[in-house]
Amino acid sequence: MTIKVSRRVFGAGVLATGMVGTSRGSFAQGTPKRGGTLVATWGGGEPQACYVPAGGGSSPTFSSSKLFERLALRRMDGKFEGVLAESWKPSADFKSYAVKIRKGVKFHDGKDMTVDDVVYSVGEIWKKYAAASALTDFAGIEAPDAETVVFKYNNPTPEFFFASTLCGTVSYILPKHIYAGSDPVTNAANNAPIATGPWKFKEWVRGSHFEYVKNENYWKKDEPYLDRLIIRYVRDPAGRAAAMEAGDIHIGVFNPVAPPDIKRLTGTGKFVATPKGYEEAVWSTTLECNMRNPVFAKREVRQAMFHAVNREFIAKTVYYGYARPGTSPIYSPNKEFYTADTFKTGFDPKKAAALLDAAGFPKKADGKRFTLNLLSAGWFQENGKVGAYVKQALEDVGVGINLTVPDRPTSLKRIYTDYDYDLAISNQANPSEPVPSTTQYFTTDGILKGVPFRNASGYSNPDVDKLVASIKVETDPTKRKALVVEFQKIIAQEAPLLPLVELESITLASTKVQNHSNDPNFLAASWGDLWLAS
Amino acid sequence: MAGELVSPTPALRGSARRTAALRLLRRRLIQAVPLMLGVVVINFCLIQMAPGSFLELMTAENQVSDPATVELLRKTYGLEDPVWMQLLKYIWALLHFDFGFSYRQNMPVIQAIWIHLPATILLMVSSITLAVTIGVAAGVVASMKVRTFWDSLVSIAAMFFYAAPSFWLGIMMIVLFSVKLGWLPVGGMMKIGGTGGVLEILHHLILPTLALGLFYAAIYTRVMRSSMLEVAQLDFVRTARAKGLSRNKVTIHHVLRNALLPVVTILGVQMGTVLAGSVVIESVFSWPGVGSLLFDSVSSRNYPVVLGIMVLGSLVVIAANIAVDLVYMWLDPRIEIR
Repeated sequence: MTIKVSRRVFGAGVLATGMVGTSRGSFAQGTPKRGGTLVATWGGGEPQACYVPAGGGSSPTFSSSKLFERLALRRMDGKFEGVLAESWKPSADFKSYAVKIRKGVKFHDGKDMTVDDVVYSVGEIWKKYAAASALTDFAGIEAPDAETVVFKYNNPTPEFFFASTLCGTVSYILPKHIYAGSDPVTNAANNAPIATGPWKFKEWVRGSHFEYVKNENYWKKDEPYLDRLIIRYVRDPAGRAAAMEAGDIHIGVFNPVAPPDIKRLTGTGKFVATPKGYEEAVWSTTLECNMRNPVFAKREVRQAMFHAVNREFIAKTVYYGYARPGTSPIYSPNKEFYTADTFKTGFDPKKAAALLDAAGFPKKADGKRFTLNLLSAGWFQENGKVGAYVKQALEDVGVGINLTVPDRPTSLKRIYTDYDYDLAISNQANPSEPVPSTTQYFTTDGILKGVPFRNASGYSNPDVDKLVASIKVETDPTKRKALVVEFQKIIAQEAPLLPLVELESITLASTKVQNHSNDPNFLAASWGDLWLAS
Repeated sequence: MAGELVSPTPALRGSARRTAALRLLRRRLIQAVPLMLGVVVINFCLIQMAPGSFLELMTAENQVSDPATVELLRKTYGLEDPVWMQLLKYIWALLHFDFGFSYRQNMPVIQAIWIHLPATILLMVSSITLAVTIGVAAGVVASMKVRTFWDSLVSIAAMFFYAAPSFWLGIMMIVLFSVKLGWLPVGGMMKIGGTGGVLEILHHLILPTLALGLFYAAIYTRVMRSSMLEVAQLDFVRTARAKGLSRNKVTIHHVLRNALLPVVTILGVQMGTVLAGSVVIESVFSWPGVGSLLFDSVSSRNYPVVLGIMVLGSLVVIAANIAVDLVYMWLDPRIEIR
């Protein structure tokens, strides 16, 4: 039995500036029908709490995002749209942003949402937990009147960056009257949240499901269309497939079933599968070189590691085609910043061998140049398979490999605390805004011992640090994009860490479910506009 | 913990038998104290030896990078003490029936376990009942019809259910009875939004019970069959037959009762493995029991909950074995357990 979580189950790496968008358009037919109960599941397990202030991974994000709302969201067309904010405007120097707050919004307990709630949420929750790494330049927030809050920054802050922060995965507006004066991490309301979203918390039957009911006082008068939303947890992918086939579950997000079952279920004509809805949370499987090992001092050696590996093979064999080769630290669905015009480290074992020879590592009598410890992070079962292949591929070019596939806590400790690896196969999930989610894997200030999903490789390059500092404060979108392109080119050539493959996450839904998968981070959307056809 | 059997001795009767049973109970309870202590110490040490900690996982999930915050959390969770001190504190707390606090679930450990315990107990009891009932009945039938079609049928079925992995069996049963036939629910303990009534729960219990119980039923069938055949060869059975008793009477009153002893022995020993098996079955059927909690707690290095489940699980096994000892005495009054 598969007892490891399926791939892409937790998203601690996408906590800081993950963004969400709106759902409208595709997978919708005709006029929305009101009423009914939608039962949903996802490709992972039950969360530790319904809401975790710092995110806590994809599971609590899934459960909390149906209740809480953000100030803004990002639509599928890439444009930003206000949710609890009606609009925002930068100052002339881009060091502050005035945000107009939506009027007439009530929390589920009937209390009005005010600017005080926004000031509390940003100052106490975002800054300390939800978006800490994105708010390093944050200088404070104040409410000059009852409808406006002003975000202040120490440096010029690009509009895209600011809007992305408003859309952060768990950048929610919390009720100050529930959280103020308490420890937000242990507040009992985290397991029965009071929020502003389209769904009201009804109950959590632990080990089984969450039940949410329609918020009759929701500020969007038409929504939600459904009466009830159930998030059901089924640990085993085969069990999820059976539950969907039996009609017990209508929709599963984030790879709910094994790839062969996707084909089987969609073949019945009762289900549709789509990779849409993950554009703002693109996952990848990465290969990371530990720069503390002197072998990796020469970048040719790092490049050779990638040249030795056939990424197409990994995409087709390990991920059944639900993946594509990665080329850049910014992933290809990122319309704002991705460039394909980078240094290529494609599959070329001869070149890998030549690079290693030239770097002073010829094959010895035993056929090996040197031996490395390859750690394949065991939080996704596919990582073990990728590890087995990478071991073979590197041994083919004369690099001895000791492969280990530890479980999640051990992997976190060995990669991010002990730096106990030479090569690591890990995973990232990055939103469109590269700062800090992507850049912190490469900047010197990203080297924080014990803090996961940062710079564990120890790569430190003053040019990259300077470039990222510029990206952070450049307010001209064209110039900013040029800087990000430059960043990608440097990293692709330096190769301290690169994606082996970009993963294609899948949503599987009954054909009855309408309006799904048209949000760039569908898992973390509110789902107020979903409805069930007859 | 099942005791050493010494037989035959003259059968104890009446109050002497009760006194012997009470003496046994007292002795077993006294023996349970060091045993439990051993269980706690060994489990505590094993958990400490596992790489990665709850604190590291929590700081990872919460992206805590500030060393002062990490230190504060370390203090909050009582991890700043040396391991031996943590162990002593844990034992002291256990003596006061305090199983600790689960910061992951944000509730006392006993409460976290209590939420899941009824589901697991229900699954274990129903599976064991099913296994013993089917196992004993099938074993008796096979032994009475030895080397016939029925014997072969029982043996093949027992071999099949013994060899089939329970998770595979579970999934196959879901496919057949839930997906194809639509007779039984795919998983869960009750309908979402349902009343949680007895019939509703029983309806959900059928497949997990079969998936978990049939494996043990296969074992009991094989043991019961061979035990029946062995006892049937003994002198007292021959004497009973010579006295002119019918075959059924001899089988039920003389052979069956004595042949049950090995099944009872295995039952006590397997109480722990049934609990372990429920981890897999609960996962396949989304059964909200302790098994799921244990799996999650191990994955998240939630040591207080893991230890709590281990301690409670050990208590169940010890209690089951004491019960087995008592059942021995009931089944065969000649038996003296040292």
